[in-house]
Amino acid sequence: MGDPVWTQLLARIGSADQVEELRSLRDQVHEQMEALLPTRPVEQFNDYLNEMHDAVISRAVALAETQMARMGMGSPPVPYAYLLFGSGGRKEQTLSSDQDSGVVYEDPVSDSAEVKQYFKQLTDIIVGNLQTSGYPPCEGNVLSNNSEWCLSLSEWRAKLGHWFEEPAWESVRYLLIVADGRGVYGNQDLVDAFKDCFFTDMLNHPIIVRRMLENTMRHKVLLGVFGHLLKERYGADAGSLDIKYGAYIPMVNSIRLMSIHKGIRETATLERIKRLVQTGVLPEADARQYEQAFRIFLRLRLMTTERMENGFYANNGKISSSKLTKEMADELKSSLRIGKRLQRLVMKKTMGRLM
Amino acid sequence: MIKKTVLAFGALTLLFPAMAFAEDPSGATLNMGLNALWVMLSFILVLLMQGGFILLETGSTRMKNAGHVAGKTIFTTGLAAIIYWAFGYGFAFGGANADNGMNALFGWGDFFFDPAKASVENGLPSTIFFLFQLAFAAVSLSIAWGGFAERAKLASYVVFTVFFIAIIYPTVAHWIWGGGWLFDDGAQDFAGSTVVHLTGALAAFAATVLLKPRIGKFNKDGSANEILGHNQVFTALSVLLLWVGWFGFNAGSTVSVGDGFFGFVAFNTMLGAGAGGVAALLISWAVTGKADITTMLNGTLAGLVAITASCAFVDPWAAVVIGLVAGVLVFYSVKFFEKIKVDDPIYALSVHGAAGIWGTLANGIFATEELATRLNTGRGGLIDTGSWHQLWIQFESVVVVGAFVLAASFLVLGVMKLIMGFRVTEEQEIIGLDLSEHGAYGYPEQMKKSDKHIQG
Repeated sequence: MGDPVWTQLLARIGSADQVEELRSLRDQVHEQMEALLPTRPVEQFNDYLNEMHDAVISRAVALAETQMARMGMGSPPVPYAYLLFGSGGRKEQTLSSDQDSGVVYEDPVSDSAEVKQYFKQLTDIIVGNLQTSGYPPCEGNVLSNNSEWCLSLSEWRAKLGHWFEEPAWESVRYLLIVADGRGVYGNQDLVDAFKDCFFTDMLNHPIIVRRMLENTMRHKVLLGVFGHLLKERYGADAGSLDIKYGAYIPMVNSIRLMSIHKGIRETATLERIKRLVQTGVLPEADARQYEQAFRIFLRLRLMTTERMENGFYANNGKISSSKLTKEMADELKSSLRIGKRLQRLVMKKTMGRLM
Repeated sequence: MIKKTVLAFGALTLLFPAMAFAEDPSGATLNMGLNALWVMLSFILVLLMQGGFILLETGSTRMKNAGHVAGKTIFTTGLAAIIYWAFGYGFAFGGANADNGMNALFGWGDFFFDPAKASVENGLPSTIFFLFQLAFAAVSLSIAWGGFAERAKLASYVVFTVFFIAIIYPTVAHWIWGGGWLFDDGAQDFAGSTVVHLTGALAAFAATVLLKPRIGKFNKDGSANEILGHNQVFTALSVLLLWVGWFGFNAGSTVSVGDGFFGFVAFNTMLGAGAGGVAALLISWAVTGKADITTMLNGTLAGLVAITASCAFVDPWAAVVIGLVAGVLVFYSVKFFEKIKVDDPIYALSVHGAAGIWGTLANGIFATEELATRLNTGRGGLIDTGSWHQLWIQFESVVVVGAFVLAASFLVLGVMKLIMGFRVTEEQEIIGLDLSEHGAYGYPEQMKKSDKHIQG
């Protein structure tokens, strides 16, 4: 896929008039991208892919606004921003990621109920559009049409404050989700203000870092004590490696934790690592290794078994070990060792600082 | 009233020493009595191991088969008692052909055993010896059921009990314990790693191969699914019951109180069991990243199985080593059987088979000359004597017994499969054997829903 072709494709996504058209454009992209993965540096591939996802999602939101207007609901009563969380927030979506989303809108001057109603209807349409485009809804119901995740700025401020005040397991999980949030469509100032709330609260509640660590510690790296890979033992995926939760997520968690503690607002893991070097948290040489390991996880994660489930692009995050060559397995092992070292470093830093 | 009571007491105190004096038992009688009590207690402990097998097998299998699995153990133990009395004991320990060459292969006599009512001095009542041996046969039988679990017809349990208790088990018991040819060669199997455990495990192997895996155990691409047992607490409790029973099994196998040697046997047994469980938990944690409870329980049992042959022949440090190796072995053995697509629901092949072989061979390595001489069975092993002799004998007994049990079990079960069928139908297997073989669920309340589901 040459750049002119790519630019043209993005333009076509950006001007699609129908949701169905978005879907068929996405299908086309998929066919081409799968062949592309082995030939490109993974970062470039990832950037392309996420640019595409952003384009599709933005267009789905814009189309929803039009649909609302056509239904006689008018245009948005106040400025708002459409937020992506999870892998979308980190600009690390695979070919088959689900929807993790939210909305932040400006505090209405009057009749907040009516405004709420507008956004409820709008987000219902957006989530529907994205489903048509092949994005399955988030299983944990972190979705823009869930009233818990579609709030005005001051409501968000109150909610975040509440989560910080009472860091139960569930609240900490939500805070970690918010940490990866980013605006994909709409008013960027609102997104900044939303993130300001989060990082101000972070400064006032340093203890939360430890709770965040505890929240993510259960995802262990796929490496046994003999330095061997831990494979799935039973079931349909027997013999495969859980790349998502055994390699990728532990690394994402470690880097995220260090970043939010330093007030770094970037959401993509590789960008976070760069900023961690700039702020002097990570030595340059170590950061290089982490980046390299993370790229390998990203690539393997993009290779994980993909399948269609009820018209959605789905993925279990696992890769059959027979798909790995000897070199890839060795590469994975050494990367996992680096990931494990990072985990230990984060654990030591977090616990050491607060104990 | 008070006067009468005092009088009665006085009379009694006068009477008792007088009575004791009149009966004054000799040392030899006391010796017999103590032996009798000890072996009787051991028999009770070994019989109680059936409770362990009930919990082990039900805990490791699914709810829909629980009543069947539990009930059939009681039933077949009862049937085994009758068959062993009529035939089995005679083939194992009958002494009518003790003077001719046939004794090397099987015993003869004492069919429909009619024992003496009292025992000779310094001896052991033959009634108690019979009970003790019967309990061993029943344990071996219950091990074999591991291969039948969740899919064999009830009738096949009846038929196999008859052949196993009348012929297969007694033959092996005679070869090694009853004065047969392996006994003459000096094969060391103190309480039955080979005789009881390997024999039962190989019968289970024949059964599970002929029955084929349970529905849903293996996928089309050959990968295995985990069919989890319905109650891990049962399984853990079963291991405790078996562990306690094992002190009758091993320490009771001294069949005498003597100079208290049975204490040493019990001591080694404890060390072997502990080492097995510890090693299995560690290896499963190291290899799979999770400390697996089932593996740890299997490891504890494997340690017990392995130390069974050697508990009277080795030093305590060797008991620990034998247990540790058994714990690791059982972990890899389970993986191995899954890989070759043999469905082993209760892990009998690994726990009793692999560990039984290891325990028997371990004698050839760790047995000490001192203990072998003391027991007047075989010689010291490789480490103590530097000689391969005993290891070779142990190897021979494993191979010969293995070949015999496999051949006999395949023959009996194969013929049975041809004539009357071995496995229940697919529908019966899915409904569960509780309903298909017995007409009622072991857990009626819990199973109601799926019952409706099947009908609907």
